[in-house]
Amino acid sequence: MSKADRLRAWAKPRGVPTFAFELPINLAVLATLAALVWAFRADGFSLNILAGAFLFAGLATSWNIVGGFCGQFSLGHSVFFATGAYTTANLYLKFHVSPWLALVPSAFLSAGIAVAVSWPVFRLRGPFFAFATMAFTEVLLSLAMYFDSVTGGSRGVSVPFRAGFANMIFRDRLSYAVLMLGFLAVSLIVLSAIARSRLGYRLQAIRDNEDAARAAGIDVLREKLVAMALSAALTGIGGALFLMYVRVADPPTLFSLFDVGVKMALITLIGGIGTIYGPLLGALFVVVLENFLRAELGGSIPGGNLIVLGFILIGTALFLRRGIYGALTGLVARFAGKPT
Amino acid sequence: MSEILNIIAVGLLLGGVYSLVSVGLNLIFGVIRIVNFAQGEFVMLGMYGAFAAQVALHMDPYVAVVLVTPALFLLGAVVYAVILRPLGGEPMMQIFATFGLLMVLQNVILAVSGGAAYSVDSVLSSRSVSIGPLQFGLVRVVALTASSVVAAGLGLYLKLSLQGKAIRAVAQDRKAAQLMGIDVERVYTITFGVGAALAGLAGCLLSPLYTMSPQIGTNFILPAFAVVVLGGLGSVLGAYVGGFIVGLTEALAGYYIDPSLKDAVLFLMFIIVLIVRPSGLFGHAGAEEVGLREQS
Amino acid sequence: MSAFLQIDGVSKQFGGLRAVDQVAFSVEAGELVCLIGANGAGKTTLFNLLTGQLAPSAGRILFEGRDVSRHAPDRRARLGFGRTFQISQTLTSMSVLENGMVGAFLHHRSIKAAADAAALALELVGLGPRASDRAGALTLGERRRLEVARALAMEPRIVLLDEVMAGLNQTEVTEIVDLVRRLNGQGLTFLVIEHNLKVVRAFSRRVIVLNRGALLAEGRAEEVLNDPAVIESYIGRRRS
Repeated sequence: MSKADRLRAWAKPRGVPTFAFELPINLAVLATLAALVWAFRADGFSLNILAGAFLFAGLATSWNIVGGFCGQFSLGHSVFFATGAYTTANLYLKFHVSPWLALVPSAFLSAGIAVAVSWPVFRLRGPFFAFATMAFTEVLLSLAMYFDSVTGGSRGVSVPFRAGFANMIFRDRLSYAVLMLGFLAVSLIVLSAIARSRLGYRLQAIRDNEDAARAAGIDVLREKLVAMALSAALTGIGGALFLMYVRVADPPTLFSLFDVGVKMALITLIGGIGTIYGPLLGALFVVVLENFLRAELGGSIPGGNLIVLGFILIGTALFLRRGIYGALTGLVARFAGKPT
Repeated sequence: MSEILNIIAVGLLLGGVYSLVSVGLNLIFGVIRIVNFAQGEFVMLGMYGAFAAQVALHMDPYVAVVLVTPALFLLGAVVYAVILRPLGGEPMMQIFATFGLLMVLQNVILAVSGGAAYSVDSVLSSRSVSIGPLQFGLVRVVALTASSVVAAGLGLYLKLSLQGKAIRAVAQDRKAAQLMGIDVERVYTITFGVGAALAGLAGCLLSPLYTMSPQIGTNFILPAFAVVVLGGLGSVLGAYVGGFIVGLTEALAGYYIDPSLKDAVLFLMFIIVLIVRPSGLFGHAGAEEVGLREQS
Repeated sequence: MSAFLQIDGVSKQFGGLRAVDQVAFSVEAGELVCLIGANGAGKTTLFNLLTGQLAPSAGRILFEGRDVSRHAPDRRARLGFGRTFQISQTLTSMSVLENGMVGAFLHHRSIKAAADAAALALELVGLGPRASDRAGALTLGERRRLEVARALAMEPRIVLLDEVMAGLNQTEVTEIVDLVRRLNGQGLTFLVIEHNLKVVRAFSRRVIVLNRGALLAEGRAEEVLNDPAVIESYIGRRRS
């Protein structure tokens, strides 16, 4: 075998990509995004948009673990988002723990809640599972409003501005953009590691056919819980970062079905559900578009941006099921003359 | 003593509202197995339809029903034919599409109304009826009556009429129904239209009770699904009773536990029922699997 | 000393209906046993009891001495039960090779090892050239073979085939019969539910006949298929 063949066999045994193959691609993509940040380093407005895009890219990527790869349509991820936010906020404000350190318990608590909440509910199929997760969101939102010592109730929780790296509070937008890019990086690499591993194949098998997966010896419930825990942990970290970014949030914002929970799913679908880079593409597209629409229409047509987004969602479900990523790979394949 | 009677009365009247709102969703979910997240928006459109009829034609909402209900039937049929029919058999895409529809409907109304809050007046608005020590708002009593009439009517229609039997056949076994010569897609289109019409009807009848905002639909969708799941998919009686269970739970929880926790209690109950008996209290065991399992 | 697979007085009751009635037989390692019976005889129920889809109302199922009667399907798979489905359950979004890999991951951790093991299994069933095609694009016969490959990639100790010939044309049937014979010749144990009596004759091994949930006959194919009681259960008695 030639050296190139040996390399290919190592990275892609029998044409199946491994993590070793995927990681350099991840890094290349992240480097491109870093270059993008650098290009806009003086433009606070654009950096803001990029930070938002990267945050949601990371969130959508984490949702994709259960939603896209495992096929479990969770509408309850805002619970983990809020858990991460409140854990970090409380540790920082009440116990003066650096938010960087607080990310760890935030991730663990989110994962723990995810397992506890999903375990009874995973036996439900399809839409029933989706509704149970929605219901859980409502329950926990109610509880969060009620237990206001932890969450600040309707007043919300607010983090005073005290700039400093240890506090994860920055004066400049560039640092936040980099922070969010870092979150996206972690999410992307974790998703790649899962996708190119035994766990990833098992999750996809569960998505395609649970009975067949069982017949292949897969402990379906266990794998679903593992996926959920990983997904929730990342989402929790995202929530914590979000809170340190906006520094004030109330339960309806953090638990929001439409602005958080559904948005993660929406972005993933538009970008390409079940793919590694789909959520990232979706986030870049949706966040930038939203900002554009809000600027153009927000004043004259209240809700105009959501009308457009709604139509895009319907259109994607009908015509572009594989999302932007799928459309792009389809085009590339057609140019290369391969059958799609 | 009169206190608990009062709470039960409140619960039953609430139940009437929930039953009315859920009967359309129950039909759609029970027959077509589509998760119509936009169902609450159909109710909202019914309300705004009543408002528009009042402003433009000076109609009382109870009269406007004649206009609103057929209009929503049409909307439902079109939505099914254009958006949902092509997505048959792909529940995840249906969820996305109906969510998109939800966003469009809600925000179109927002854009058109400019975010102003509207209210609708009816000849029955401030009237109430007294039975013993209890007072009942007449509008709520009408809603309760209407939900009973609609549930009974729908139940009889499904049981006795040929079209109704066709609908039940399709709900039980789509392929067998096709083999019997039933045009399944036509049944689905009509069912979805009827489901939307019933939601519109509910919106119309309930419009005097609420201050309307474009987001009001989302207040209904979760309790509506709770009702459908609790009562049992596809069972008209089940959804009817389910509405009262939800109403009573809400009233009792609000009084005995904490008004701000009544949502939590309700949904906890909903989740428990989903887990313990997913086919609901009145559905056949396994009903929740039909349509989600390959039938071949 | 118990047999490889022992079915010990197993019954399954659904309300008033006794779908499987105190069925008892055993399968030795390396055997190829066919399970036949007219429609409604209880074959599918018995099969579901064996795969773990259902739990018996009475009796036990012993595998290599271990009581697996209440084990879930995935647990049985891990113990060495490979199975196919009557309605093909391939993983349509994945490639043919990846379908095999899902089975191979039972005993292999890395992608490379699983891919190699899956490729081997695909070769065994003759699907090697189709490795990179999407599973959804296969014909019915190919999908049946893919399911067998996925089961083989699990390195099973016994393979349960559920009407694997249903819907196949003559060529495809011959292919699978040859495949099963070959694998059995290499020592793999098979329990086959089959409707197609020609196939049963072609296998020409031990046959077990069910009728109305109970064991009607057991023996070599030639004897059993000529047994008047067996014929009667299929066709009915001649009215003279």
